[in-house]
Amino acid sequence: MAVGVAGTAAQADEWQDPNDVLQMLLEAQPDSKYLHQSEMNIMMMPDNPALWLLDDGERLFHEERGPNNASLESCDFGKGEGVLEGAYVELPRYFDDVGKVMDFEQRLVHCMKEIQGFTSDDSAVSQRHGSGSDIMRLTTYIAHQSSGYAWNPPLDHPEEQAMRDAGEKLFFRRGGAMDFNCAACHGDSGKQIRASVLPEMRNSQEWTKAVSWPAHRAGQDNVRSQNHRIRGCVWQMRHAGILPDTPVNTALISYWNDAARGEPAILPDLKR
Amino acid sequence: MFNKKILTAAVVVSASAALAGCDQFFQDASDREVDITQMSPEELAEHLVLETDSYRLDQEVQEGGTGRERMQQDEIQALCSLEGSPDSETAGQVVAAARAAYERPDGGVELGDWRRGAELARSGYGYRVGHNNDDHGTREPGANCYACHQMDPAETTYGTIGPSLANYGRERGTDESVLNYVHEVVSNPHQYFPCTYMPRFGRNFLTEEQISHVMAYLLDPESPVNQ
Repeated sequence: MAVGVAGTAAQADEWQDPNDVLQMLLEAQPDSKYLHQSEMNIMMMPDNPALWLLDDGERLFHEERGPNNASLESCDFGKGEGVLEGAYVELPRYFDDVGKVMDFEQRLVHCMKEIQGFTSDDSAVSQRHGSGSDIMRLTTYIAHQSSGYAWNPPLDHPEEQAMRDAGEKLFFRRGGAMDFNCAACHGDSGKQIRASVLPEMRNSQEWTKAVSWPAHRAGQDNVRSQNHRIRGCVWQMRHAGILPDTPVNTALISYWNDAARGEPAILPDLKR
Repeated sequence: MFNKKILTAAVVVSASAALAGCDQFFQDASDREVDITQMSPEELAEHLVLETDSYRLDQEVQEGGTGRERMQQDEIQALCSLEGSPDSETAGQVVAAARAAYERPDGGVELGDWRRGAELARSGYGYRVGHNNDDHGTREPGANCYACHQMDPAETTYGTIGPSLANYGRERGTDESVLNYVHEVVSNPHQYFPCTYMPRFGRNFLTEEQISHVMAYLLDPESPVNQ
């Protein structure tokens, strides 16, 4: 079984169906309680409701929209204007045009504002978290182009390395009314919070599933993003509320995606 | 080893601040006057948390004060911001800080009502802030014990971050030394388990009355935990 894993990582620079990626991970780790926790979700994976967002996302990406009546085809997610294949797994990254490291959602919003002319008040940009939002539809469509590619956020630029390293410190930083850090829930394998089996951050195959958002959350009947997952964790940890498009999000995601480096992404995924 | 790292970081912070001047050093990252590559990872993490408007730091929180105070670390949080277990020196500092902060209730430790303790043990409500604030005016905070512990053997959805507490009281009884010890652990567990993930429930989280109910759920011979 472990042979399949090594093979997966080695040939990961090509698109693979998210269900096939999940099946490889399940076979690679037959004893992982996290990966195998929901038989129903595994069975539903070929019909993942997140796939319903793809057509809408594709249309929104190519449509001329916003005050500038422009499509997103000139948006550069790091691999060139309009290049989506493999782009999602190479984020966050440093962008010369803004002079800072951006995560995916931050970059998407940046393009919707700069290219299409949307403002923060426009619902196209302000609504982030539901399957019906433009952001989640676009996110699912764009991320899907990276399914099966290995997580590979660049660390060549000093700011990319700095944000990743700060993200690691943030992951272990205790705070809030309950003294929690991210590792309280993600430092051990097979642990549960109530009925939820938790992924371990040092188990890269559990972790690639853990960070593979967008994912349809069965319990919420909505497709959710990496940023939404952070918001929920921060809320449960009793830390101060976290805000979108901010550097703590970017640093944490830099560390998340680096911790899953080399493992194929499941995009979109389906979670409990 | 972890302790040395933290001390080193503290020295670097002071040195950099002295060189750059505090005002200049801690500006919003978005204004580009801050070179984040010149900071240590610890410094950058602190900068991101407290100086970049990433959190609703001005929002009022249930225990009083604001989100900013929530995110500023106290001594135990700073010492325990590490991966894995603390080394012996750090552990000693944490235990000492926890003992110094602990107060036994006036009149000694008593057991409350295990039925109310059972409700508190199951409730994960309270102290959450941000996009969806927990309103303590409509619902009291819970102790959320089942998130991490088994307690009543008949309860099927319990967490495993902490040890099972099934039959805890049956095995230990309820003499004064047990009551004192359990109160110390619920109130500030770092006195015995330095850098544990168990929250300090006596620190702005549960009232003494609530703690007495939770303790009754754990220790009372009538409680389902001990059946």
